[in-house]
Amino acid sequence: MTEFFISLLLLLAAVVMLLAAIGMLRLPDLPTRMHATTKSGVLAVIFIMLAVALYFERMDITARVLAIIVFTLITAPIAAHAIGRAGYLSGVELWSQTVRDDLKDYYHNHDKVHEDDSAST
Amino acid sequence: MFEWVITIVYLLLSISLLLGFLRLAKGPSLPDRVVALELIASIVTGMVGVHAIDTGVSAYLDIAIVLAITAFLAAIGFARFIQVRGMQDD
Amino acid sequence: MTGLFWNLLLATCWVFLTGSFEVLNYLFGFVIGYLVIALVHNLVPALQDYPQRLPRFIAFLVYFFRQLVLSNIKVASDIVTPPWHMKPGVVSFKLLAETDLEITLVSNFISLTPGTLVLDVSEDKTTLFVHAMFLHDEDQVQADLRQLEQRLLQVMR
Repeated sequence: MTEFFISLLLLLAAVVMLLAAIGMLRLPDLPTRMHATTKSGVLAVIFIMLAVALYFERMDITARVLAIIVFTLITAPIAAHAIGRAGYLSGVELWSQTVRDDLKDYYHNHDKVHEDDSAST
Repeated sequence: MFEWVITIVYLLLSISLLLGFLRLAKGPSLPDRVVALELIASIVTGMVGVHAIDTGVSAYLDIAIVLAITAFLAAIGFARFIQVRGMQDD
Repeated sequence: MTGLFWNLLLATCWVFLTGSFEVLNYLFGFVIGYLVIALVHNLVPALQDYPQRLPRFIAFLVYFFRQLVLSNIKVASDIVTPPWHMKPGVVSFKLLAETDLEITLVSNFISLTPGTLVLDVSEDKTTLFVHAMFLHDEDQVQADLRQLEQRLLQVMR
C-alpha cells in the first residue's frame, strides 16, 4: 500500500516537472516562463520529498524532508521575485499580447527608483 | 513494479533536464537563462531524492539540502548582477 | 507563536515519555498537547488566542494546497494545448497587510499560487505589482488575491 502511494507521488512529481520544463520551453516571455517553472518546480520537489519520507519512515529523515520542503517554499518565491524584478527593470520585453502593464505606469511616474537601486548596491 | 516506476520517473526527469538545457542554450536574455538554471536545480534536487529512494541511502538527502541552498543563493546573486548591469545583448 | 512552541514542547515530552520515536506518535503527542493547551488557555495570557489560531492555520494550509494544485492544473492545461488561452498582464493590488513580515508572507503565497507572480512592491509599501497569467476577468483575479490575503492575515493577527 505504501509502495503504491510512493509510486503515485513520484509519477505525479515527474509529470509536473516535465510540464514545467515544456512550459519553460514553449512560453513566450520571462514572467510567464517563471509562472511555469517556480511553482511547478516547488510542487514537484514537495511530492518527491514526501515520497522519500514515506519510503524511509524514520523520524530524522522526516525532519530533514520537512526542512527541505519549508526551505523551498520560502526561497522559491523570493528567488522568482528577485529575478522577475531584475529582469523587468533591465528591460526584458513582455509578450506582444500582454494586455496590461501597471508597473510601467508606476515607473514612468517614479523615475528616480532606478537610480536609488543602483546607488544602494 | 516499483523498479519500473523508478525507471520511468528517471526518464521523465531526464527529459525535463534536457528541455531545461535547451532553454539554457537558447536564452535569449540572461534572466531567461537564470530561470532555466533554477529549474535545472530543482530537477536535480528531485533526482537526488529519487536516487535516495532507489539506493536506500538516506545520506543523499543532505546533498538535496545543500543543492537547494546553493541554487537559491545563485539566483539571488544573478538577480543582483542583472539589476546592476542593466540590459545588454547576451 | 509561543503557543505553537509550547505545543511542540509538549509533543516532544510525550514522545520522550512514551519512548517510541515515530511520526504517528509525535502527531498524537501534538494533539494531546493541543488539548492540554485548550484546557488551560484562559489561565495563561500568552496562550489566549492559540486554540482558535491553530484550526485557522490548518484551514489555511488546506485552502492553499487546494489552490496550488487547482491552478497548477490550469497552467499545465494551457501549456500542453498549442494555442495560447492565456492573457498575461501586470495589475496593481492594494495591500491590507502593513508590517514587513505580513507583506513578505502575503507576496510569497501569491507568488506560490500559479497564475500570479509578484514582480514588485511600491516604495510606500501599499501596492503589490502582480503579474497574472489569466487576466480574462480582472475583478475575479483581484477577488482571489484578496481572499488569499485575508485568510493569511486572519492567521497572523
